[in-house]
Amino acid sequence: MDTLEICYMSAGDLSKLVKNKEVSPVEIIDAHLARIEATEPVLNSFITLLAEESRTAARQAEKDIQAGRYKGPLHGIPVGLKDLYNTGGVRTTSGSKIFDTFIPEEDCTVAAKFQQAGAILLGKLNMHQFAYGPTGENPDYGHMHNPWNPEMVTGGSSGGSGSAAAAGQCTITTGSDTGGSIRIPAALCGIVGLKPTYGLVSRWGLTALSWSLDHPGPMVRTVEDAAITMNIIAGYDPKDVASAKVDIPDYTTALTGDVRGLRIGMPKEYFEAPLDPQVRKAVLDAVSMLESMGAEVKEVSFPMFNQSQAISSTVLMAEATAYHRDLLEKDGYQLYEPVRQRLEAGLFISAADYIRAQQARALLDQEGRRLLDDVDLLAGPTEPVTAPKLLAPRVLAGEQEIGVVGALTQYTRPYNINGFPAISIPCGFSDTGLPIGLQLAGKPFDELTVLRAAHAYEQATDWHTRRPPL
Amino acid sequence: MASEQLSREEFDLLAKLLDVDGEPAYLDELYSQVRGVYISAKNIREIDVSGAEPDMAFIPPTD
Repeated sequence: MDTLEICYMSAGDLSKLVKNKEVSPVEIIDAHLARIEATEPVLNSFITLLAEESRTAARQAEKDIQAGRYKGPLHGIPVGLKDLYNTGGVRTTSGSKIFDTFIPEEDCTVAAKFQQAGAILLGKLNMHQFAYGPTGENPDYGHMHNPWNPEMVTGGSSGGSGSAAAAGQCTITTGSDTGGSIRIPAALCGIVGLKPTYGLVSRWGLTALSWSLDHPGPMVRTVEDAAITMNIIAGYDPKDVASAKVDIPDYTTALTGDVRGLRIGMPKEYFEAPLDPQVRKAVLDAVSMLESMGAEVKEVSFPMFNQSQAISSTVLMAEATAYHRDLLEKDGYQLYEPVRQRLEAGLFISAADYIRAQQARALLDQEGRRLLDDVDLLAGPTEPVTAPKLLAPRVLAGEQEIGVVGALTQYTRPYNINGFPAISIPCGFSDTGLPIGLQLAGKPFDELTVLRAAHAYEQATDWHTRRPPL
Repeated sequence: MASEQLSREEFDLLAKLLDVDGEPAYLDELYSQVRGVYISAKNIREIDVSGAEPDMAFIPPTD
């Protein structure tokens, strides 16, 4: 089999071949290592590549499968973890040279679950330093580059995960999402990114950015792979104080292709905000397609959306500064300057303003729940723009030039505030060839409905089959 | 704590009290960011939160 085809196969398809012994884990890992060698000089997706370790693991997986010890759909499948997921015996930098030699003693819960499932860790993926930025900048390990146009950002903070999945360097990658850090690079790199409900996937062993806003989740090329990954990583973890005790369904049962009767709300405020006309058209076309497939679409109002930037940034900055305060005092001079500035700006937030932001957060949560009494999903753009140029401070969204940080987090922050599940899936391309993302959000712990609609749309379109020109 | 506007003199004083230091260009940019923090705080103070208890975190089900 052509090695590039192996690299672009979904985990769903690849696992069938592995199970039937038509492709071996060794072939899969070798194909991906060759792909990484060819594309990494352009993309810079990895901080740590585990070439020999992954080959050794692949040989063991091959032996196990040959001996009839097949572990399931991720056995022998290459996975890349954002470099703030602790991995026992493998350095975990959080995107900073300050932790260049930090080697955790044990795996975070998500890494341990991948290991138990037989997945093969290919490496640790590049990220915005300490996950504190939405673009994918990193002076310590090099900036990340968008596979569709390397002059553009990947989005962040899980930028290496976005580029690695989009370019066929990894079959499965993971991100963490505090203000959009899974969905932003997913949209800008043209892949699928799922931010699960807060508490559904364990945060234990991940470097925090903001305790009450952090969500780990999958970044992959198909909705089926998001469902397969969720089957492995979702579930209660007593080590995580925010972990939810809920029944975990088989997420692949959502992949019916049927959206008949599904009620989709389009918040009108999303389309009154700064928005690139090509993105607007692609998103409206996507929702029209879901309607033509049998979904019921109606306009809804989400007024608290307009306050979501202020609420999210106040909570996030205060918590991030609290978490990193010792680091800031001891090693602040070593931080990427914009990251240091954000951390120091958090020192100026009063306790009263933080608490008031949490009160406003409760109101946004209540409003979101009321909205989802009347509809099953909220739909809109993931991003108001396509990928901006690397290091550009501002970007044009429709007729307005706005700051890049505010632009890239415009539509993603509300679902960090209320913890609702939200997915970004490809829904088109700009005339410059850059991907556009559709965001679908659902009720807490109703990932099944989110995946159902995302999968039905994906299967009715071919956006997810396109490959970047690398 | 935050007034609606933050002058450069007030910022410099607060920065000193918070033990924040840096080159002039760094502090200029930080001042710009802190003004953004104050604008966010002002926006939040304009929301009627009476009756709303602080949602310290989304509380997931535990049983």
